[in-house]
Amino acid sequence: MSAETLLKVEGLGKSFGGVMAVSNVDFELKRGDFLGVIGPNGAGKTTLVNLITGFVKPSRGKVIFNGKDITGRKPYDIANMGVARTFQMVRLFHNMPAYKNLIIPLCSQRVRKLRGGKYGERDDVAIDLLDDMGFERTSNVPYKTAGSLPHGYLKRLDLARALALRPDLLILDELFSGMSMAEVAGVLPIIEKLNTQGLTTIMIEHRLRELFRVVDRVMVLNFGVKIAEGSPDQVMDSDEVKKAYLGVDVEIPRGKPA
Amino acid sequence: MWLIVYGIISSVILALYAVGFSLTYGVSGLPNFAHGALYILGGYAIWNLMNVAGLSIIAAAPLTVITCGLLGFGLYWGLLLRVRGIPLSELVVTFAAGVAILELLTWSGFYGIRYSLPVFWEESIEIFSVVIDGQRILVLATGVALVILLHLFVRHTRTGLAFRGLAQNERTALSVGIEADWIGSLSVAMGSGLAAVAAVVVLPLGMMEATIGYEVLIYALAVAIVGGLESTTGMVLASFIIGFAQTAAARYIGPKWMIIVPLAAIVLVLVVRPSGLLGKFKELEERV
Repeated sequence: MSAETLLKVEGLGKSFGGVMAVSNVDFELKRGDFLGVIGPNGAGKTTLVNLITGFVKPSRGKVIFNGKDITGRKPYDIANMGVARTFQMVRLFHNMPAYKNLIIPLCSQRVRKLRGGKYGERDDVAIDLLDDMGFERTSNVPYKTAGSLPHGYLKRLDLARALALRPDLLILDELFSGMSMAEVAGVLPIIEKLNTQGLTTIMIEHRLRELFRVVDRVMVLNFGVKIAEGSPDQVMDSDEVKKAYLGVDVEIPRGKPA
Repeated sequence: MWLIVYGIISSVILALYAVGFSLTYGVSGLPNFAHGALYILGGYAIWNLMNVAGLSIIAAAPLTVITCGLLGFGLYWGLLLRVRGIPLSELVVTFAAGVAILELLTWSGFYGIRYSLPVFWEESIEIFSVVIDGQRILVLATGVALVILLHLFVRHTRTGLAFRGLAQNERTALSVGIEADWIGSLSVAMGSGLAAVAAVVVLPLGMMEATIGYEVLIYALAVAIVGGLESTTGMVLASFIIGFAQTAAARYIGPKWMIIVPLAAIVLVLVVRPSGLLGKFKELEERV
């Protein structure tokens, strides 16, 4: 079973004023893969996301998405090709109602093309998506100004906004940070379901227990270098990972909890 | 009564000067310091279209607006694209382009009595025993119409939504596929077109010469700074405060005060409340 390659990252590197934030990273994703990316703070995880999505120009290396070289392309081009992302620090259109945040991606070139040039009932699509995220359609929450919503809602709105682009690749940059246990428990099954439906996903996360429940592969970064890649169990057994990421004395959370 | 009527007119003129500058800055963060130059270039264009090409004002006015709009486009794709995202360079580039336009106009002999535009409507009317001429009525009507049209455009069109998206959060807008360069250039083009609209209705009130470009830039800056950058309500409010102050000062102190008032307003606001009356850059006040 060799599925089609969706994303190929080759020798990707970025230096900021002499410091290598990401250096010589290689990896490959097949359609439908679910990759977790972990590593200590400052390991270069967010820079990696920025490099793939075009927010930062690589110093070297290549990003191939869907057979096309997208290295150094503009972020909006990459988005319109089907790469959606969330931001570690929530970034929304704060002065718009929550559902309007989704109308903007629904107006994008990409969605226009996917829907055969028609826009149809954008408002309905937006409300449906938000309803899935726990913004009950019968309440007034989807119509509230985004900036006035509590943090947990903002994170979910960020996710819904990314999904509205109908991406082929979804990159989640610490989606769970600042979310309550209950909120994570609400969102995790949604992400899991999307992936089983075929959405290729990269998830950067510090909450390992939750991460390991959903991903099938983990990549570990430290000082911008990939130090391990494999199943959660494999990766956590690697001595280098224990040393670099968790410190040898820390108890390591195991794959699927009983 | 006179003060109220003419204060309103002065305020609307200021708002017309500033609206294009504010639109461009609000959407794309580009300070278009060529705004005043584009304004007076609009006057030059319409004068030539009417007096050299022999067009009627009905044909010449829209052509002028389109010409300035296209120039705005050219300014973006030709010069600004290279320095996009570096605020100081954006400012230097637009200011240089503006100075180049203004000095070229002066060099080509664009001053003197022969450069004046006919008023659109010769009649005048009397409101509350104050006589207002037709051109000033047209200025008022244009100002009100523009505010309504821009509001509708921003609220109810897809491009308008993209404008708001880009204005509110550039990175998020990029991540959902808003073509920032296209939208950015459109905002410069619209701002430039609005400068021409202002020129077409305001310039027949007086004589034309290239140096007016500098004055209009100062007025637009004064309104933007006093009102607070990125705030539409602030822009309107600032236009009215400065407009009334100008009118009163010019009448009771002396006509030179027309230009002193906005300059004084800039200084006063920067000292007392640097983010402007309704500005969003609160960091300016919260700095230690």
